[in-house]
Amino acid sequence: MHRHHTARPARSFRSARLAAVGGLAVTALALAGCAGGGGTDASPSAAPNTDATLTVGLVLEPKSLDIRTVSGAPLEQVLMGNVYQGLVARTPSGEIDNALASDYKISDDNLTYTFTLREGITFQKGGELTPSDVVSSLAYARDTPGVVEGQTLAGATTIVADGNDISITLVEPDANFLWNLTGRAGLIFDEGDTTELANAANGTGPFTLGTWIQGDSISLDRYDGYWGDQAKVAEVVLKYIPDFTAGVNAMLGGSLDVLTAVDANLSSQLDGTDGITLTKGATTDKGTLAFNNERAPLNDPRVREALRLAVDHEAIITAIGGGNTLYGPIPPTDPGYEDLSSLVPFDPAKAKKLLKEAGQEDLSLTLTIPNFYGTTVSTVLVSMYNDVGVTLKVNAVEFNTWLEDVYTNHDYDLSFVLHVEARDFGNWANPEYYFNYDNEEVQSLYAKAMASVDPKEVDTLLAKAARIVSEDDAADWLYNAVTVTALRPGITGFPVDSINARIDLANVEVATE
Amino acid sequence: MIRYALTRLTLLVVGLFVASALIFFTLRVLPGDVAQLIGGTQASPAQVEAIRLKLGLNEPLLAQYASWMGGVLRGDLGNSMLNNASVSAELLQKAQVTVPLGLMSLTVALLFAIPLGVLSAMQRGRTGGTVISFASQTLAAVPVVWAGMMLILVFAIWLGWFPTTGFPRQGWDDPWAAFRALILPALTIGIIEGAMLLRFVRSASLQAIGQDYVRTAAAKGLTRNQALIRHGLPNVGLSIVTVLGLQIAGLIVGSVIIEQLFTLPGIGRMLVTDVGNRDLIKVQGELLVLTGFILVIGFLVDLFHRVIDPRQRESA
Repeated sequence: MHRHHTARPARSFRSARLAAVGGLAVTALALAGCAGGGGTDASPSAAPNTDATLTVGLVLEPKSLDIRTVSGAPLEQVLMGNVYQGLVARTPSGEIDNALASDYKISDDNLTYTFTLREGITFQKGGELTPSDVVSSLAYARDTPGVVEGQTLAGATTIVADGNDISITLVEPDANFLWNLTGRAGLIFDEGDTTELANAANGTGPFTLGTWIQGDSISLDRYDGYWGDQAKVAEVVLKYIPDFTAGVNAMLGGSLDVLTAVDANLSSQLDGTDGITLTKGATTDKGTLAFNNERAPLNDPRVREALRLAVDHEAIITAIGGGNTLYGPIPPTDPGYEDLSSLVPFDPAKAKKLLKEAGQEDLSLTLTIPNFYGTTVSTVLVSMYNDVGVTLKVNAVEFNTWLEDVYTNHDYDLSFVLHVEARDFGNWANPEYYFNYDNEEVQSLYAKAMASVDPKEVDTLLAKAARIVSEDDAADWLYNAVTVTALRPGITGFPVDSINARIDLANVEVATE
Repeated sequence: MIRYALTRLTLLVVGLFVASALIFFTLRVLPGDVAQLIGGTQASPAQVEAIRLKLGLNEPLLAQYASWMGGVLRGDLGNSMLNNASVSAELLQKAQVTVPLGLMSLTVALLFAIPLGVLSAMQRGRTGGTVISFASQTLAAVPVVWAGMMLILVFAIWLGWFPTTGFPRQGWDDPWAAFRALILPALTIGIIEGAMLLRFVRSASLQAIGQDYVRTAAAKGLTRNQALIRHGLPNVGLSIVTVLGLQIAGLIVGSVIIEQLFTLPGIGRMLVTDVGNRDLIKVQGELLVLTGFILVIGFLVDLFHRVIDPRQRESA
C-alpha cells in the first residue's frame, strides 16, 4: 500500500526556501506590518503584454551564479524555480509541491521514495531530461564535498531509475528528506553538461539566464521550450540596488516595476504615489539574539533569563517599523511552531532581581552584529539593557568578520543576525553550532522527530524541543521579519510571501498599456 | 632630459613593486576569508577548510604573492575566487563607467573653477569676489553624499530630467542614455572638486597679479585685469596642472562614494563589493591598477613640467 500524491497543474510550481549569507542582509531592514497571503492573483481586466520586460529591484546581488557550490540566499532567490528545478519544490507558504516529478509515493516504512518523472522535458540548451540525469544529479550532490547542502542527501543509500520512475532508498527515515529535495541538493542538471555554472546556466525552468552585468543586474529570458505554462513576460531584469534610499528613488523615478525588500521606514514614500501599491509577506526570518551559552556569566541560566525579561519585544518591532513577535526558535510557517509568549513577559524588575541573585549587578557584555543591519536594533538593546544595569557594548562588524569570530570561532558574548533559513531548528540540536547550546533532551527529541513517519508527531516532537530551548533561554528571538514589496500599477501575480528566499517569476503579468 | 625621464621611470616601477607588496600583505590582515563566505552559515568547518584548500588559500603567503606577481608581469591579473571571471576583463568593463565619469567630473570642475577663480581674483575686495569665495568655501565643505542626494531629489524626482540611479544595461551602445545617467553623478563630484580647485585658481591668480611681469604689462598701458589674463594666466595654468594630478586621486575616492549613491556599475562599487566578499585576487588587482594609474599621472605631470617650464630644465 502506498500513500499517493497526485500531480498538480504545472503552473502551481512555486518555490520558497532560504539559505544563508545574503538573505541575512536582504531582510535586514525590510520589515513592516502584518503578514499577507500567497501571490496576488492575475487580474483578467487588462490583456497581459507577453512581450514585456519586467524590471525588479533587489538588494543583494549573488556573488557567483554557481548554484552548486556557492552558498547565499541572493543566488537561490532568483535562480531556483525560475532557471533550475528539482523533482519537488517549495511553495511560498512552506509546503511541498511537485515540479519535475508528476507524482511521488512513499513506502509504508518511510524508507523508499518513488518519483515519476514528467516526460517531454528539455533542458534550456536542448538536451532531453532523462531519469538518468536525475540519478546522476542527486548522486553527485550526495557524493561530492563542496556541493551546498549535499550532505542532506547522505542517508540516500541507493538512487536508481526504473523506466520513468526514480527510487530513492534511505538508511533510516528522515522527516526532512522531501524538504531537502526541494533545496539545492535536489536540483537536476543535464548529465555530462559542461556549462560553467559560475557564469552560465542550463536548467529546466521557465526562464533562461540572460546576461549578468556584475555590480548592476541580471536578466532572465523566457524559455519557449518550457514544459509547463509559459512565463507571461518576455524578459525580467533584476536590478541590484544595495542602498535602500536609492531603491525607493529608483521606484519613484519610474525605472522599476517592482521593488522588493522595501525599508519599512521608507515605505510611506511609495504607498499610493503614482498608484504604487505595497504588499506585506511572511518570512521565516528569525531575528536571533544569540547568547554564548558556554561562556561565563552567560552559562548561568538566571543571567540568560534576565537578558530576555529585559527586552520589550513590541518596542523593538515598533522601532524597526514592523514584524511579528517570536518567542522561540520556530517561526509560524515551520513545523513545530507554538506560541511561547507566556514564557517571556517583559519584566525588567524581575530581570534586575535575577541578575542580583546571580551576583551580576554590574554586568558588561559585548554584542557582535554585522554592520548591514544598521543601528536600530543595537541602539534599542543598549537602552533596554541599561535599564536593568547591564552595560552593552556594540561591536558592529563586516559580515565576514562575524563569520570568522562568531560563527567559526564561537568568540562572542551576544550576537545578532537574522536567521532566514526555513526549518533550521536542527541548529539547536547541534552542539557544534555557534550557539554553544548542548541539551541532550533537545537532541534526542529532534532525532526522534526526524525519524518519525507521522507529520503530526513531527510537529509535536519539534514543538516540545523548541519549548525546551526557549525555557532554557538559550537565546532571545527579537522578531519574525515581514517583507514589503512595492508594485507599479498593472503588475499582477508577483509573489508576496518568502520572496527573500525565492521569487517565482513565472506567473507575473504586465498589463498592456 | 632623457636621463631625468629614465630616473623618474625607474622610480615609477620600483613604486609599483612596493605598492604591490603593500597591497598584497595588508589585505591578508583582514579578518574572514572568501572560503567562509562560499560556505555560508550551513557549512561545517571541515567543508570550509576543503574550500580553502581548493582555492589555494592555505599556501604560504610568499608563494601566493609570487604566483600573483608572476601573473601580473605577464599581464594577467588573475580570476575571481568566487566566480572565476577574469579580473582585467571586468576592470575594462567597469572602466567604461568610471573613466567617462572621471572625465566628465573633471570637465565640470575645470569649467566651473577656472573662470570663477580668475574672476574672483579680479574682483578681490569687491562684493563679487567675496560672494564667490564664500560660496566656494561653503561648497568645498559639503559632503558628497548629501550633495548627490539633493541633486537626485531636485533634478531626478521633482523635475524628472535625469534618471535617479543606475546605468543603462546596453552601456555606451545607447550613448545618450549612458551620458544622461552620468550627468548628475559628474555634477556632484565636479562641483565639489571644482570648489576646491576654484580656491586654488584664485590664490594662484592673486599671486600672479602681484608679480613684476604683470605690473610691467600694466605699466605699459594694459589694465591690471588685462595684464593678468594675457601674461599671468599661462603661469597660473602651470600650477593648475600640478594640482590636477593630485585632484585625480580625489576624483577616484569621490567616484567610490558616488557610484554607491547612484548605483553605477563602476570600479569604485566593484572595489567595495569585492572587499566585502574578501575576493582578494580581485581587490589586489583593482588596487594595483588604481595605484599604477595615480603613479603614472604623477610621472606625466613631472615630465610635463620639465617640458614646458624652462626654469626646471635649466636647474637640472
